[in-house]
Amino acid sequence: MSEELVMPRLSDTMEEGTIGRWLVHEGDAFAAGDVLAEIETDKATMEFQAYDAGTVLRILVGDGETVALGAPIAIVGAEGETADEAASAGNGATTQPPQEAAAEPEPKAAAAEPEPEPKAAPARKPSKSSSKAKAAAGNGSRATAALRVSPIARRMADEAGIDLAAMAGRGSGPEGRVVKADVERLISSGELTRPAAADAPPATESAPAEGEIRELTPMLKAVATRMTQSKQTVPHFYVESEIDMTRAMQLRAELNSGLADSGDKISVNDLIVRASALALIQHPQAHRSYVDGKHVYHTHANVGIAVALDDGLIVPVLNEADTKPVREISRETRDLAGRARAGKLKQREIEGATFSVSNLGMFDVANFEAIINPPESAIIAVGATVDRPVVVDGEIVVRKIMRVTLSCDHRACSGADGAKLLLTIKQLLQSPSLLLV
Amino acid sequence: MADLTYREALRRALDDELARDPDVFLMGEEIGRFEGSYKVTAGLWQKYGPERVRETPISEEGFVGAGIGAAMMGLRPVVEIMTINFILVAMDQIINHAAKIRYMFGGAVGVPMVIRTPGGAGAQLTAQHSQSLEAWFAGCPGMKVVAPASVADAYGMMKTAIRDDDPVLFCENLVMYNVTGTMPDDPDYTVPLGRAAVVREGRDLTLVAHSYTVQRALRVADTMSRDGIEIEVVDLRSLRPLDAETVAESVRKTSRALIAEEGWSTYGVGAELAARIHRLCFDDLDAPVERVGGAEVPMPYSKPLELAALPLESKIEAAARGLLAESGIA
Repeated sequence: MSEELVMPRLSDTMEEGTIGRWLVHEGDAFAAGDVLAEIETDKATMEFQAYDAGTVLRILVGDGETVALGAPIAIVGAEGETADEAASAGNGATTQPPQEAAAEPEPKAAAAEPEPEPKAAPARKPSKSSSKAKAAAGNGSRATAALRVSPIARRMADEAGIDLAAMAGRGSGPEGRVVKADVERLISSGELTRPAAADAPPATESAPAEGEIRELTPMLKAVATRMTQSKQTVPHFYVESEIDMTRAMQLRAELNSGLADSGDKISVNDLIVRASALALIQHPQAHRSYVDGKHVYHTHANVGIAVALDDGLIVPVLNEADTKPVREISRETRDLAGRARAGKLKQREIEGATFSVSNLGMFDVANFEAIINPPESAIIAVGATVDRPVVVDGEIVVRKIMRVTLSCDHRACSGADGAKLLLTIKQLLQSPSLLLV
Repeated sequence: MADLTYREALRRALDDELARDPDVFLMGEEIGRFEGSYKVTAGLWQKYGPERVRETPISEEGFVGAGIGAAMMGLRPVVEIMTINFILVAMDQIINHAAKIRYMFGGAVGVPMVIRTPGGAGAQLTAQHSQSLEAWFAGCPGMKVVAPASVADAYGMMKTAIRDDDPVLFCENLVMYNVTGTMPDDPDYTVPLGRAAVVREGRDLTLVAHSYTVQRALRVADTMSRDGIEIEVVDLRSLRPLDAETVAESVRKTSRALIAEEGWSTYGVGAELAARIHRLCFDDLDAPVERVGGAEVPMPYSKPLELAALPLESKIEAAARGLLAESGIA
């Protein structure tokens, strides 16, 4: 019997998922445990494995497309079966003779693909051509979507004089139902009679056109939601300091010349992560989360490290950084950051931070203030390290100065708690050999 | 403003009404010397004596019928059924007699009787002792059915129910008995029957509940407000008369409605409210009305299965998030 595969829940907070890419084609056989697709959640790209063996009869959601949790994304079944046996909608599969698929020793080549793709570029084109085939066959809701509108959305659109016809199948409700939030967006975007995005070309790699409106990726949506929530609900206060990094830079140079052959390279950020982790353990009052009217104390410093992406950011977590030597911190951070940029982080690698480090020093930023990522109680924002004249023992000398700002949740810690934490971080970085013990 | 348990608030209301009106009397199994299975009537037998706090045999049909007769003759009986599960043998007395007498006697005589009885589940009392059957009675014209979810309402509504000239099924809740809350100081405090209350304000979703499920709903609202989602919680308080207008007013604001109840959803409180909401608020809805109820099975004994069958916070929250997701709200 054929059955539908649905968009799985891969993170606690995901409401919808995007097919990153399919790793199987229509007609491909797969075994239990095979990775069928990569799915982008609001937080990470995760592998979607098959529970049972079977054959891909039809792919319903193409690469890059987003659907709600539980929405069908593919039809699978036994080799030679047609998708129609499972899905009452759609007759597209009849264009692919089932007998042929059964008879063909290499099903990948024949059944699903009118024009077999070179193996190098596996999933992209097939799914597009299959969705075209579906469209041509007039396959139910997806291709020739009916206009579905929630009652209040219809009323609001009427009152605002918005013609929703072009929004058919494009709303954010089930099966493209246009809901209140969609109409509110249309109204606030000012596109009153010309529905937003209706005529816009599908987003591609091209630069955005003037005034173009694009949907947020799941990750950007998550960032928008969480940061808004944090700034609106977490009472931030800020403590700022200048740290003399002269000795830390010397230490780093020394370490790196010694490690030159090993492939390891210690960064300033690694030292900051280490210093922060050690300082957090010394200051439990600055290392606790305010959750539901209670303080949750943390025994280990799990340090989130903000990694900038081409568009957006993600914060992988270096667990128990207080127990790890600088070299280990450096290695793990490089691995996490690399996989963050490749979209290959696992869910558990972006959860559970107790503190975060955000470093914009590489952009020559003098100083900035970061937004706390709840339920963490603090985040340190790191500026560039620059040569500056400072007074030491009554003499003006040039030192390497780094400005940092600690953002703290005032429900978790007091100003003095935050200041003490920052002072310890500063002392550790100014006496950096302490970072090695 | 003193803090009392729900149980103590009920006891105080009974005490106050016994003191105020000599026509009021209590009747039920073990409510006197033993002070009632759940101790709601503790101390009242000693205070008012066996005439006014009357012990009965284990014969629900008999003593409910006796209560109806006494009420028809002008007294105000408050009959305790040990739990709502035992009310079924008295169904004929309640539905065929108490609910119909005013109508069938052309308004000449009524039945000013209160039947108070606790329902609810969660203590592994299994299939026959864990039910929430109030919706069955709320469907019957001639009955009033109330199910307060707070200490103040338990007190204020009990007094109103005793003073009401028609039969009132007063649904208490086993889990609620130990819930503490603030009691108004005013000795004349009463709460009208047939009025719902907005017990938490919010903009994103209306969550309607009654009895102990209101407490669950409030916890869900607390949890979700941490994600910036503001749920409005409406405590129905009365199931019949049903204050659909207060619910509708809330739904007009939020555009979304979820009804949670411990009883079964099928033909339940949520079914009735969903129908009313669709009629009263059709043009205000952004998503279909949703319901959460107890699993449609006889309550299992096994603790994990019992938990799986109950409409716990997790299920209510999942349903709320599902509704919000349908509305394009993360």
